[in-house]
Amino acid sequence: MSQTHSKRKAIIINSAICIRLFTSRCCRDIRTTRWQHLLQSILVTLVGLSLMYVRRCWCLIWRIPYNVCSKVRFTSLKETNKMSELAQSQFESSDDELPEEVAFDASKSAALKSVKDALESAKREKNLLKEKRRKRQQLFQEQKTRKRLPEDLLEEFDTEPQKPAVLSDNVKDEEETNVTSETNSKSLPDSYSVKRVKDESAAKSLQQSAIDFIQSRLYGPGTKRTSNAELLSLKMKKGARQGASVEFVNKKYGADLKKKITKSNKRFIHKQKMVPS
Amino acid sequence: MGFPSGVKSNQRGGSCCTTSAMGEFKVHRVRFFDYMPSAIRALAFNQQNETMAVARMDGAVEIFLCSDRFFQGKIIPGREQCGIEGLTWVGERLFSAGLNGQITEYDLTNQRVKYTIDAYGGPIWAITGNQEGTHLAVGCEDGTVKLFAANEDKIQFERNLDRQKGRIISLSWHPSGSKIAAGMIDMIQIFNVETGQSIHRMLTDRGTSRSKECMVWCVVYLSDGTVISGDSGGMVKMWNDHTGTLIKSHNVSKCDVLALSVSQKEDSFVAGTSEGFVVQFQFISSVLEKNDKEWVRTRTFRNHTHDVRAVAEITTAVVSGGMDTQLVVRPLLDKIEVKSSASALQKIIFPHRSLVSCARKAGLMLFQYPGHLELWRLGESEGQGIPGSSLLVKKNPEKLLHLKVKGEDHIRCSAVSPCGEWIAYSTNSSLGLYRLHCDNNNISITKISKIPKVLSSAKLCFSSDSSHLFSASTQSSVHVVSLSQSGCKLVGTLKPKSGSHQAIHLLAASEDGKWLASANSDHEVHVYNLHTKELHCTVPIYSSAVSAMAIHPETNCLFMMHADQRMFEFSIERKQYTDWSRLVQRNGLHYIWLERDTPCLNVMFNPQNPSHVILHDTYMFCIIDKSLPLPDVKTQFLNQLTLKSLPKEKRKSHSHAFKVCKTFREMLHVELMSDQSLVVVERPLVDISTQLPAPIKQKKFAT
Repeated sequence: MSQTHSKRKAIIINSAICIRLFTSRCCRDIRTTRWQHLLQSILVTLVGLSLMYVRRCWCLIWRIPYNVCSKVRFTSLKETNKMSELAQSQFESSDDELPEEVAFDASKSAALKSVKDALESAKREKNLLKEKRRKRQQLFQEQKTRKRLPEDLLEEFDTEPQKPAVLSDNVKDEEETNVTSETNSKSLPDSYSVKRVKDESAAKSLQQSAIDFIQSRLYGPGTKRTSNAELLSLKMKKGARQGASVEFVNKKYGADLKKKITKSNKRFIHKQKMVPS
Repeated sequence: MGFPSGVKSNQRGGSCCTTSAMGEFKVHRVRFFDYMPSAIRALAFNQQNETMAVARMDGAVEIFLCSDRFFQGKIIPGREQCGIEGLTWVGERLFSAGLNGQITEYDLTNQRVKYTIDAYGGPIWAITGNQEGTHLAVGCEDGTVKLFAANEDKIQFERNLDRQKGRIISLSWHPSGSKIAAGMIDMIQIFNVETGQSIHRMLTDRGTSRSKECMVWCVVYLSDGTVISGDSGGMVKMWNDHTGTLIKSHNVSKCDVLALSVSQKEDSFVAGTSEGFVVQFQFISSVLEKNDKEWVRTRTFRNHTHDVRAVAEITTAVVSGGMDTQLVVRPLLDKIEVKSSASALQKIIFPHRSLVSCARKAGLMLFQYPGHLELWRLGESEGQGIPGSSLLVKKNPEKLLHLKVKGEDHIRCSAVSPCGEWIAYSTNSSLGLYRLHCDNNNISITKISKIPKVLSSAKLCFSSDSSHLFSASTQSSVHVVSLSQSGCKLVGTLKPKSGSHQAIHLLAASEDGKWLASANSDHEVHVYNLHTKELHCTVPIYSSAVSAMAIHPETNCLFMMHADQRMFEFSIERKQYTDWSRLVQRNGLHYIWLERDTPCLNVMFNPQNPSHVILHDTYMFCIIDKSLPLPDVKTQFLNQLTLKSLPKEKRKSHSHAFKVCKTFREMLHVELMSDQSLVVVERPLVDISTQLPAPIKQKKFAT
């Protein structure tokens, strides 16, 4: 209500100013007619009103929602609390009321606070994840210890490979180093694989890519292909002795698929414990 | 007289019916041979020999004799991981190139690969030879067109033409040899062979699909400078090579145009599409007797269900082949004057060599696949039945052996001995011989390692008492290897006197072990005396190739069936044709018999009835009774059903020598076992069609 009052006040003041201007001008220049003056004053009032609502007009021009606009406005020297209050009240207020002024300090402190909040929340999340990971690791450790063989057996295994290494001490040094290197050898990383040279020759891969190219051009997507069953069924339909589709007539056609289907049907019936009718 | 009758099988088992009097046979209908032919990838026609070379996806190359009813004269087996992309004749020599980056020359005399050289350009997409027969050009993945000089013994790399960005997919040489047109992705380049520079760069339009690149799958260069191209947008375009611009464009199909071929006179060309039809364009004027000729689309041939990957236009026919593995010969009726067997549509489905061999006394069958062999034992049935009925299968047929071949070469030929104890097979590089020990339930096999140097052979045959193996090798000679408990030993070599070098494709041994007949690709048939290991006689040369032959067990007459459906009987002891054979020649054969389009692949005799000869081809099998009169032109040839309806007394007067039975589906092999049962190995086309790659969806009305 106070806002509406203030707005009305502003309108009245503006119009008063315009009339004053009008009258003052009118006194100076006799040649312009009274109606022209009136028009001029009306125009000026309108301009004045529009200046008040410049921000809203700006928003209308650039199609930014009014709610967003409210945060873009000039800050005033009020506190942050008031700022948030104002923002809230902005949503509630109607379109005809004047926007409230907010102080610069208030808005600055508000921005800093929001940044701090964000940082804190990120930290909290990190800590949460850390906790989770730690707990998981603990769980795995426990499982591992549970799965492991009894300690004495492990000790036994541990000593075994050392024995042949010990024995080979009597033999030459090269062999010893070989054995030790074997015991130290690691398995290949997961992304590596072993292939013979004759299995993977460049010519074969080129040939395969050429074959794939032809296959995709003649049978790939975009070609209007149908199946042999349809072709044969069409022939049977249009033939002199009309018959049913080839999948039904020719028992050998797709026999394995039919077997699979009957099997799965039987399984389904058994599972559902339905009585076959 | 009765006729053979068959019985339906359950699942994939054998099947039987009654056996008793002459003419009634127990028939095992075998459908467990999962023979899968390979798709056709390239065709090349040789004008001088009138032979057509066909390259298949598994690397096999077959030579068909166009003048001899498209009989399959030579087969060169392929190998694993072959990837053939193109085939071309350079003079009399045959070259192929594939995605493995190698150019292969074939030795057609011995039916094998002569050598392979690496082009060092990555996968090769196209190969073509010039008309003079001096040079060979290959188009590679790295964008270069490499020129090779065709020297006497080998080809040698000469130079590269200018390297382009993007792979070269198709090539065509101008008839003068001065320019080459290369089809690439989204463009066609024309090169000057002398300088190696690109003269013109013609860009193809992408059509409706802006995002997908346009692949120029095939190009043809005509002598007047027109370049014809077929691309993946379904367009056939005509370009002018002087200005480098498009003259005309025809929208032929909604999917790719995969193959083009122009006729010798350059007045017509055919285009094969992905949808399965072949379109013909002819250079004619739209108004009669006016000189403004242009390329007009005339005919459409719909003989395929799947993609057509290769077409060839020969003088009187259009030959096409593709992913449905059938070679279709469609005669152009405007070029043929006389209606004969050559004017009918011919579809070649199965190879003209037998892939099944039977151990007659043991009841075993050996199936030859490209990479392995399978040995099966036939099932048994019980009870008797009326002809045409089905009987219960008491014991299912069982697979005894699955023998994989080492190495990458495919099997060329295989055989099992009549007693069922020996199995032999041959590839391009090696010969394998195995001894089989078969107790009731236990099978064991031992490999004979010390084989004499009889390397690869084109044909293998066991003698009737399983004591010798005959292996046909180079220069039309036959090696005789004796088999025993301890192993095998090379006993002798039979050589002809004529000095013909062509490979042998058929061998026939007599029952008494005295005679051996061999037929080679030069149409020569030699008969050898096995006791003296010398040539006994040579049958007079006939113009057509021999498709099947056998020696009669009692009379020792050699019965030969030829690719043009004529038959001859030659008496070996008297060294002349028999009287019955002369009678057949005088009388002539019935036109229905002569019009059959598939050759006979096996000839057998019936021990119980010496005057019977049993033959079969893909669609029928027939018993010829030499004691009955021959049919003349007016009699009904296929008269089995009418005879059945007549009473017994009238049958004798109406019957003639040829008894044809058409109850069985597409037959790969028919054999008469020693227990008087017939084995019919069927391979229905439907079973093959279900395993082919996907066809293009075709919109048909009301579906």
